[in-house]
Amino acid sequence: MATTTPPTTMVLSRRTRGRLQQLVQQLPAYAILILWSAFTLFAIGWIAMSSLKSTRQLFQEPLALPPEPRFENYDIAWNAVDMSRYFLNSVIVVSISVALILLISAPAAYVLSRIKFRGSNALTTVFTAGMGIPYPLLFIPLFALMLDLHLTNSLPGLILVYVSLSLPFTIYILTGFFITLPSELEDAAVIDGCSDYQVYWKIMLPLASPGMLTAAIFNFIGLWNEYQLALVFANTEKTRTLSLGLYALRNALQYTGDWASLFAGIVIIMVPTIVIYVVLSEKMISGITMGSSK
Amino acid sequence: MRARTRLILTFLFPASLLYIVFFLYPALRALYTSFFDWSGFSDNARFTGLDNYRQLYRDDLFIESMSNTLTILIAGGIIVFGLAFALTILLNSGIRGRKLFRAVIFLPNVVAVIALTTMWSVAIYHPRFGLLKNGLAYLGLESWSTILFTSPQNIFKSMMAAIIWINVGFYVVLLMAGIDKIPTELYEAAKIDGANQVQMFYKITVPLLWDVITVGIVLWSINALKIFEFPFAFTALEPSPNTYTVAVYLYVMGFGQRTPIYRLGYATAMGVVLVLTVILVVIVLRRVMRREVIQY
Repeated sequence: MATTTPPTTMVLSRRTRGRLQQLVQQLPAYAILILWSAFTLFAIGWIAMSSLKSTRQLFQEPLALPPEPRFENYDIAWNAVDMSRYFLNSVIVVSISVALILLISAPAAYVLSRIKFRGSNALTTVFTAGMGIPYPLLFIPLFALMLDLHLTNSLPGLILVYVSLSLPFTIYILTGFFITLPSELEDAAVIDGCSDYQVYWKIMLPLASPGMLTAAIFNFIGLWNEYQLALVFANTEKTRTLSLGLYALRNALQYTGDWASLFAGIVIIMVPTIVIYVVLSEKMISGITMGSSK
Repeated sequence: MRARTRLILTFLFPASLLYIVFFLYPALRALYTSFFDWSGFSDNARFTGLDNYRQLYRDDLFIESMSNTLTILIAGGIIVFGLAFALTILLNSGIRGRKLFRAVIFLPNVVAVIALTTMWSVAIYHPRFGLLKNGLAYLGLESWSTILFTSPQNIFKSMMAAIIWINVGFYVVLLMAGIDKIPTELYEAAKIDGANQVQMFYKITVPLLWDVITVGIVLWSINALKIFEFPFAFTALEPSPNTYTVAVYLYVMGFGQRTPIYRLGYATAMGVVLVLTVILVVIVLRRVMRREVIQY
């Protein structure tokens, strides 16, 4: 009889059945998403794993775990080309560039988004239009200009190029952020006798710090990984960045066929951005739509 | 009021100066340079009018580079957006671990392109130890596992696959953020009215996502047209003509590879063609994608 079954189990079993049914319906979704993600993680993981093998093991058993980790590969990758210099170059160029980009873009974005003046919209359009200009257009004329300034194949020259060309994107993303800030605090500060500069430094900039952080992450990762501009403006033994260094390493190891060491080089360049991403992925992902928000 | 004007000027000055000198001036200068036959950085430039452009039109390698670029733009774009939409729908189907999946799908976007090209051309496509070969063999697909993915016939398609895999994640993030902004009441109301998933997708999701889709397609077009890093480094030592894009060919002409060419005016003309293509595509997209703005 129905009364012998406690009603709670009835409900529970129905609920479980519902959940099971839902799970079955969602099975294809899980399968596809897991497949896609597994491919990505496996490819990256396999490179990390193979970087600890010998190249012979790589050929013999490509899918097997390394019998014992071979850290020499990292030595080889680090020393086959001048990797420590390239790493240092990247650190210097990218950190100085990111700092300058924010220092220069933030005030411009603030004025363009918060202060009404004639032509402000047109000016914003001119700045952001730069995002549509393909860098290759600039290769030759900008190279000629840098040559006149004696700044080709130098780190300051590369920094100057990085900062200038990153302005459109950064101003775009920061104006999108400044626009969303409430104006009450601004007004209150003005009433309290703050000058425009104080409003910017003491009120608006701290409020905009999440946006600044997002802009910093994007520029850091973008410039750390960048190599087309570095290729044109700083491709010498002394001035190479890590990306160019890896390209050089690949060409050097191509002859010896030492793939395992090449994979070690890949790991060296991937680790910093992946670490940042693991820590700050939410920040980055939310930043993608920041600029395009209405 | 004067203080405010001074603030506007001081705050805009550094950005404007750098932008004008190192971005706008070279961009305009490029147009000028493209009318010259110019082989080096000495003063031997000769004005040739539209000659560079006429030669481009007859240059088979340029036509191939342009056709490759447009293939990436159009075929690549359709696949990227198809996959991005499909994955976004799957991610929004009420599954667990939505954010984790999204984060992994986006992951290739934070890895250096030079690492990704090496990963694909060596780790995945290598004819001996490559993951694809071994994976296919493991699944018993012996006949597929012998395909040479980096042969001249296949290399462009192999490269496309990699480019698609990298980019899908970016558009998934973009679309998902757009969908998250759509109020859930709309879907609930539709459900009460008896709408099914497909109807809700076409009647609610797509129209309300239109702005985001437009931004996404414009971004893809710009990025696809200027693509340089991946094709440049995908093949070892020198980029292969099979994978030339306009940007790669421009670089080879301007800066040379093993064999320097240094046709600077000619290379710059390609850059100008590239910009004009970007402008044209964006104008067409604006026209095609224009819809009434839906407020919600």
